[in-house]
Amino acid sequence: MSDDRAHSPSRILPREQGAAPLDLVIAVMAFLAALALGASFLTERAAMSWRLGLSNRMTVQIVPPPKGDTDSMMANETAAVLRVLGDWPGIVHAHALTQDETDRLVEPWLGKNALIPELPLPRLIDATTSPSASVDLSGLARALARAAPHAVLDDHSRWIGRLKALADTIIWSAYGILALIAIATAAIVSFATRAGLEAHHDMVQLLHQMGAQSGFIARAFEWHHFLSALLAGLIGAGASALLFVFAGGLESVGIEAVPFLPPLALRANELLWLLAVPASAALIALVTARLSVLSALREIY
Amino acid sequence: MRVNNKVHAAIVSRIMVRFENVGMRYGAGPEILRDVTFHLEPGSFTFLTGLSGAGKTTLLKLIGIAEPPARGLITLFGRDLATTRRRDFPALRRRVGVVFQDFRLLDHLSAFDNVALPLRIAGRRLQNYAQDVEELLSWVGLGDRLDARPPTLSGGEQQRIAIARAVVARPDLLIADEPTGNVDSDIGDRLIRLFAELNRLGTTVLIATHDRGLLEKVRAREMRLVDGRLIELSRARQ
Repeated sequence: MSDDRAHSPSRILPREQGAAPLDLVIAVMAFLAALALGASFLTERAAMSWRLGLSNRMTVQIVPPPKGDTDSMMANETAAVLRVLGDWPGIVHAHALTQDETDRLVEPWLGKNALIPELPLPRLIDATTSPSASVDLSGLARALARAAPHAVLDDHSRWIGRLKALADTIIWSAYGILALIAIATAAIVSFATRAGLEAHHDMVQLLHQMGAQSGFIARAFEWHHFLSALLAGLIGAGASALLFVFAGGLESVGIEAVPFLPPLALRANELLWLLAVPASAALIALVTARLSVLSALREIY
Repeated sequence: MRVNNKVHAAIVSRIMVRFENVGMRYGAGPEILRDVTFHLEPGSFTFLTGLSGAGKTTLLKLIGIAEPPARGLITLFGRDLATTRRRDFPALRRRVGVVFQDFRLLDHLSAFDNVALPLRIAGRRLQNYAQDVEELLSWVGLGDRLDARPPTLSGGEQQRIAIARAVVARPDLLIADEPTGNVDSDIGDRLIRLFAELNRLGTTVLIATHDRGLLEKVRAREMRLVDGRLIELSRARQ
């Protein structure tokens, strides 16, 4: 007589009318959270590449004097600097940048057709140090000052320190934004659950009267909000992932990113990490709804 | 003396429902029940009568642990509700089947799911209860309306679903508030026979009604509420 296939237990809690705005808010939250998470990945990757690019490197600048025979003075001082660097313990390679290489360095800021030859650009000497050696930087600075009075030694430590501080600030700001979004999501779900309890007061009373444990009633609400938040979170994080993929596509067709800023494309494993956003949103919704319902049920006799 | 105390305790623990000087009021409102004292024996069938507003529904609410009394002692299945932990209330409530005067069906659930609700609450699986639910719905004349939602059913049909829901888990105690108020006499007779059959199988039944005709159909004790006070009219109508 009975055909189990004909009946599947319906959801105890009906799909709420007017739940779309809540889903929309959670989707927007998930979108912003995924953007913040993606930004933290990009910044961390950029900071790593900056550090790798500048560690074990130092630069000597020979600043052109305001007057006099600039070209011959700079050539002499360049040769003197290369000699000092070549003899200095711990330095494995030193190379004076050609005029073309220097022009290319300033090109992103000044453009190709700028009057670069007219500008008093310094000569740059790039030196590579041995990773295992400890270089006496203060001694080297003194030796360079004696051999070439217009030479300035830059070991990039200040620059690396600032970049690291900037990257850390961005990353921790992203984490802060994620935390704020999580709190806001919990507050919204808590409010929605309370509203749901009010809207379904008669149903909750009935279940309570029929001997349902608080956990049974809470499960009806928590799964409802879990599934809603999961779906909304997937939509929001998915939109964010599409945005990152689109930005990566722009770079691949030659639309350049701003110099020094990291590329905006996320790698595949980083895109997968964005799935943590809907999972977290669903988990936050589940826990918040459960706690809200249990708290409200304690007020019923 | 000690033996007498033990006998008394054993008797009290067997009593399904015991009220001692129970009073009830909502907030600072007038007293709805006054010094109500009675008990229901296991397997008894009792009618609770009285005019509209006499306090019948309130008394049923107290038995169903839906409201706390303002004063007095209530024991249910031998447990003093005043000293019972709140976490133990759901298990006691599940032993009580309730037919509400306003049915309280869930409109988004089918007739089948509404009737099956107590079994889901009790943690039973669909494959274990589907046949029982279908048979019960057939018994109350709704075997062909399993998937119908309450808003599409008549008042009488909704009432029969409410009754089926109250009895499906074979409760130890069944309390019903005007259970035949919206059905014709044939269906009313059938529902009363259902209550009597449950009673024969051991369920204690308390029916609140103002339908005097109902009292003629079942030999049962009658308690009447008048202005919040309980009057015992007959111990048993044999």
